[in-house]
Amino acid sequence: MTVIDRRKLHLNAFLMSTGHHEASWRLPESNVHANTDVRHFQRLAQIAERGKLDSIFFADSPVLFSDVGRRPAGSLEPTVLLTAIAAATERIGLIATASTTYNDPFNLARRFASVDHVSGGRAGWNVVTTAGPDAARNFGLEDQPAHRDRYERAAEFLEVAYKLWDSWDDDAAPADKASGVWGDNDKVRPIDHAGRHFTVRGPLNLPRSPQGRPLIVQAGSSEDGKDLAARYAEAVFTAQQTVEDAQEFYRDLKNRTVAVGRDPDTLKILPGIVPVIGATESEALRLERELDELIRPEYARAQLARTLRVRPEDLPLDQRLPADLPDEDEIEGAKSRYTLIVTLARREQLTVRELIGRLGGGRGHRTFTGTPEQVADALEGWFDAGAADGFNIMPAVLPSGLEAFVDHVVPILVQRGLFRSDYAGSTLREHYGLPRPVNRYGSATPEAVSA
Amino acid sequence: MSTARQLKLNLFVYPGGHHEAAWRHPDSAIDRVLDIEYYQDLARHAEAEKLDAVFFADGPSLADNIRYASRFRLEPFTWLSGIAAATSRIGLIGTASTTYLEPYNAARMFASLDHLSKGRAGWNIVTTGAPDAAYNFGLDGHPVHADRYDRAREFVDVVTKLWDSWEDEALVADEDSGLFADPGRIHRIDHVGRHFRVRGPLNTPRSPQGRPVYVQAGSSEDGRSFAARYAEAIFTAHQTIENAQEFYSDIKRRAAGIGRDPSQLLVLPGISPFIGSTEAEALALKEEFDELTQPAYSLDLLRRLLGVDLSGYDLDGPFPRELVALEGDRADSSRSQLVLDIVDREHPTIRQLLHRFAGARGHWVVAGTPEQVADEITDWFTTGAADGFNVMPPWLTGGFDAFAEHVLPLLRARGLFRSEYSGSTLREHYGLTRPPSGFADDTSIERNLA
Repeated sequence: MTVIDRRKLHLNAFLMSTGHHEASWRLPESNVHANTDVRHFQRLAQIAERGKLDSIFFADSPVLFSDVGRRPAGSLEPTVLLTAIAAATERIGLIATASTTYNDPFNLARRFASVDHVSGGRAGWNVVTTAGPDAARNFGLEDQPAHRDRYERAAEFLEVAYKLWDSWDDDAAPADKASGVWGDNDKVRPIDHAGRHFTVRGPLNLPRSPQGRPLIVQAGSSEDGKDLAARYAEAVFTAQQTVEDAQEFYRDLKNRTVAVGRDPDTLKILPGIVPVIGATESEALRLERELDELIRPEYARAQLARTLRVRPEDLPLDQRLPADLPDEDEIEGAKSRYTLIVTLARREQLTVRELIGRLGGGRGHRTFTGTPEQVADALEGWFDAGAADGFNIMPAVLPSGLEAFVDHVVPILVQRGLFRSDYAGSTLREHYGLPRPVNRYGSATPEAVSA
Repeated sequence: MSTARQLKLNLFVYPGGHHEAAWRHPDSAIDRVLDIEYYQDLARHAEAEKLDAVFFADGPSLADNIRYASRFRLEPFTWLSGIAAATSRIGLIGTASTTYLEPYNAARMFASLDHLSKGRAGWNIVTTGAPDAAYNFGLDGHPVHADRYDRAREFVDVVTKLWDSWEDEALVADEDSGLFADPGRIHRIDHVGRHFRVRGPLNTPRSPQGRPVYVQAGSSEDGRSFAARYAEAIFTAHQTIENAQEFYSDIKRRAAGIGRDPSQLLVLPGISPFIGSTEAEALALKEEFDELTQPAYSLDLLRRLLGVDLSGYDLDGPFPRELVALEGDRADSSRSQLVLDIVDREHPTIRQLLHRFAGARGHWVVAGTPEQVADEITDWFTTGAADGFNVMPPWLTGGFDAFAEHVLPLLRARGLFRSEYSGSTLREHYGLTRPPSGFADDTSIERNLA
């Protein structure tokens, strides 16, 4: 029996070298050089496409995280990786993270428009402001710009990018061989943007892309992050530990979207979940335990200490977190993740060692461990409870965790009428059920809008 | 099998072809110029013919008149990685600006391209000559030539240090001990200079070639001294064999003068061939393209190069040489000088000069039989004018098909060009050594591994 007309989930596969569990690379099945192996990522994308997932996604930061001893570090630049994956896939959306703090809008707008052209309309951009002083020091700064300044720059960066993406009308280049008219100068215009952070004349040196503009994704859940998302984002990736927290976040963000005059349905909220799947519950629990035992606690503690702005020796492994941690307001880095970790530890009265185990799987994202039915039940529960429009799937181990999800959980979701059995469209916007944006300058042509 | 010195040949791809009117020709693939499969097909063909590399020019601005020519550009990193996925041996050379990128981002994208192509990346280092670009990056005006090159030198130094920041042996990946990489072999670069402060290390492990191949394409005085120091291949424009020989001996002498092995710096002039079964047929083909040019467009190009607006002049009258005095950046531009040299040497009419330039923007255009073209190439190659060529088909794909079908077999029969690849990286195709990491000899660093 199929249930027709049920609201459908959106599913994104968040890909990361050998998996999201920090010790996944130590499993016998894992390819330790996966982080620089394009074929590994092409295979993962093909697996996700086999499951008809909406998209794949890569996180990124222009800095080498300093715990290279502990887990695979160093990665390929994700926009470059996306077009190589585009060549090996046909339908699945391709989302990469790029920083508004450490790029120029002209270069980045152009790069994403190119990915959109090369992929036939499958590009998405996860907009981040890049926390942390280490990245700043790769770009001539002593420390990161303040949180508020980074978000202000991000908003202006997006305004510039939107203008550049609209700087060509869809029908600007008739390319008429007989008359010798390639393009219409009246349908390509400078943007003449002059703002606090950027002065950009334009136009872009590339025709408008298949999607008009790439899908805009946002992933920070701080106050500034939520405001940015409400204005610009079309999909939001977020870390939520409980269904109640997720519902609260969902309501809050949708309300903010309405407050700025947007249809809340044009913003899809996708909490991250780490599925650990076994044929039986005990098999799934055994896999989870095997992974946690491979974590090297001294390194994990050092990373936790950096996030919490304390010294590692202030975090004895078998004691709870210190009582005198700073407030979120005092944090200039990844604010929302800081709060999530502290709240999780306090709520569940975890020792540092237990907290490390919980974070090792998904760095603060929710882990669902169990049989395919149990995982599907959990997703359905959150979805029906108004906590999510879909999920950011973060397999603990890759490729096996993604294969398990696609081959065993997705069919259950399809059977329940919660997920597509095939793609209905060909662009990322179509997968997410989002319209192609009308050109803010141009005379919209009907065929272009519906393309 | 000949072990004689071999030609290096790149396919230099312009979307519709290099002739400015190529897009209007019935055989041009103008409807495919935004389709990645078109470029993948071209690269596969070039790879089947064992060419060294494909190459794309680039600049981060749109010229202000798109009426007469397709002047857009896909972004080269994303474009080339799409081509890398469809090929396995051919080199992939992209252009990136030292004026409008950050060195950390550029280093990372080229290292990524080198990884995902398994050692086939090359970087055409440009300072961006188009004044329009400045206005896309918050500048009030075009940075002057000397400043751009000063920044370029520091930029390349920073990028090199970042590429070297992971030693080749840094990846340990010991699953049993849980040690992924040896932090003692991954280095901060701590660069502090006039233009950049960059701490590093790079967040991409050292790439298959160690460093992607350094290419340079400006032939001005600043360009030459830059190339002599950094470049491993130079793309250059010459109209005559004598000019090419002068350039060749000058640049090799400069390289030797600063202690480099001149064989590790390849000089590759551009050649745009029209090929016919008779010379008359080839010339008629060139004429067919020249007739499709539109003077308003060509005059605009000339105005940019020479600083004089000749609209309103009789196109069939003599070129008014007395109006031209190169100033500012144009005085430093090798391409502007090249145009004036044609005027001084050949005394063309305005229309003749426009057609001359329409072929390949100042690169060498030849029209002839396959034997004639092969003879010219052989001549330049064996008389100290070139180590190989950037092949610039007037139109695509037919202009390259003709070269591959008719000229390459002649060059192979003469023992001048490979029939099979002997290596798999661009450095191997070009006969360039793989550089060690500059940090590899640093014994002062404490090793974390006993």
